[in-house]
Amino acid sequence: MRVFLSGLRKLIRRPASFVSVGLLVGLLGLILIAAATVGQGTARGSANARALITFPGAYDLILSFMFGLGGLVAVIYGAAVAGSEWSWGTLKTAVARGESRARYMLATFVAIMVMVAVGLALTFALGIGLAVLAANIAGISTAGVSDADTLQRLPAMAARGWFAVVEQAGLGFAIATLARSQLAGIGAGIAFYFGEGFASIFFPDIIKYMPFAVARASIDTGAQGGFGGGGGGAAPVALEPDTALLLVAAWLIGALLVTVLFTERAEITG
Amino acid sequence: MTSPGALALATRGLRKSYGSRLALDGLDLSVPSGVVYGFLGPNGAGKTTTMRLLTGLLHPDAGSIELLGRPFTRGDRRRLFEVGALVESPSFYPYLSGRANLQALAADGASVPKGRIEELLELVGLHERARDKVSGYSLGMKQRLGIAGALLSDPKLLLLDEPANGLDPAGIVAMRETLRHLAASGKTVFVSSHLLAEVQVLADVIGIVARGKLVREGPLATLLTDQGVVRVRVARTEAEGARAALARLGAVEAGATGSQPDAGAEQWLTVHVEPTRAAEVNRALAEAGVYASGLESGTELELLFLELTGGEASSEGRMQGIGDPAAQGEGTK
Repeated sequence: MRVFLSGLRKLIRRPASFVSVGLLVGLLGLILIAAATVGQGTARGSANARALITFPGAYDLILSFMFGLGGLVAVIYGAAVAGSEWSWGTLKTAVARGESRARYMLATFVAIMVMVAVGLALTFALGIGLAVLAANIAGISTAGVSDADTLQRLPAMAARGWFAVVEQAGLGFAIATLARSQLAGIGAGIAFYFGEGFASIFFPDIIKYMPFAVARASIDTGAQGGFGGGGGGAAPVALEPDTALLLVAAWLIGALLVTVLFTERAEITG
Repeated sequence: MTSPGALALATRGLRKSYGSRLALDGLDLSVPSGVVYGFLGPNGAGKTTTMRLLTGLLHPDAGSIELLGRPFTRGDRRRLFEVGALVESPSFYPYLSGRANLQALAADGASVPKGRIEELLELVGLHERARDKVSGYSLGMKQRLGIAGALLSDPKLLLLDEPANGLDPAGIVAMRETLRHLAASGKTVFVSSHLLAEVQVLADVIGIVARGKLVREGPLATLLTDQGVVRVRVARTEAEGARAALARLGAVEAGATGSQPDAGAEQWLTVHVEPTRAAEVNRALAEAGVYASGLESGTELELLFLELTGGEASSEGRMQGIGDPAAQGEGTK
């Protein structure tokens, strides 16, 4: 427990945590304000722009953005946290104090899971505020904010989305552990993320089982033109959300197993 | 040597390879309890590999390790609860303060008594800067924080890799006093260092490793007494005469150290003799009609080190002498 709490305290103070949330909120804010600006006019496309910031549809925009781009941010975040343990030598120091390697890495990842939840909650809350602001700028009613049907769907959607983003953070975590480097881990994580999206154009039946594709498929927000497409765009062939969710769990467990086994066996130098 | 029961640290036949490169080739260390042990060796001799093996960062290919009288094996990480270590450069989260880093470290491994962090920050002189981020620390400050980290759980055995790195002279003195104090209180301090002069004033016992093997181990005072030497540089044609003169003094010739290779028409003769008798050696040579172009003497650890490892002299701890023609005629140490 103390290793987990310590891990959490470290992540709370880590600039990457603020940057990640700031990036998501900032980009979401830009999109919403842009939609409000376009939606004010009568030009072609203004109706679509107005639809984006009209509740309850705006919820879908916010969620698909969070879980789409949030997945990429999570890969980078997970890779940064695991990679820095090797690059900065802090894992070495913990091991030399007699700490269990497996426990240390798992506790660190559990802290990441909590941070992802907090980050997504913050992004969602701020996103709602920005969407309300955008709707007001465009002169659109915000009565749909309290749409009962949408509010009822939100908890399940948030849980699925969080789990999918956590899986992607886990992949970044595992990749950086294998790379034993923060930069290499982030680079490889991004490459896998976009590489998988690109490969889905050529091998859709295989890629639909791959980690980023199943993460996307497990979040069926129902959004039109959402942001969940990953690097190369949404996979043209996707699994059923529930099947995808099982595979998300499998990939996450696999990523953590790889992390733990590699760390346990690793010869820590440098 | 100390009886096996009183050893704080022992390795037997420790062997480790990195691919085809053999880093340790059957290392046998015996570190008595309650001493400062200086672990010396040239670059690539296996010092850091040894430190990593002792802290469980690496796993040996063969051989055994005993920490505080009990075997230390792969699955026995709890043995490290009684060990404090600073391996290679100190490692911290740069975005956290010094205090927060120690708090993070305290969450790992052995439990840390309440108030210990403040006590250690005071001890290493970082209390005033404890709230500053480590990214703004100098190398010396990081080193001091690393030493504080190694002391967190009040360990019985302290393993320090180059602890004087980056410390200013006052910091080195303070560190030396702290380590001496720890040894006096019954703890064992194992210091790997390339600063021979520092080890000479700090260590009670030393071990010298070369090419992955222990080449000499024992109480420093004994080793240095045995090692007292005078070296003279004479013309090759006068070497026999010099040998005879030195033999009349009772000086036994030793092997070449390799620190200053023979040059052209001259050669170095090294004899085991009390360094305080250097002037007597010089006089004996002159009386025999042999005029030395260089003369060195000392009980420096460096000389012993060089003789055992065949390494090159470093700027630290170099023997005082008149080997340099510019210094001809100056006294010996």
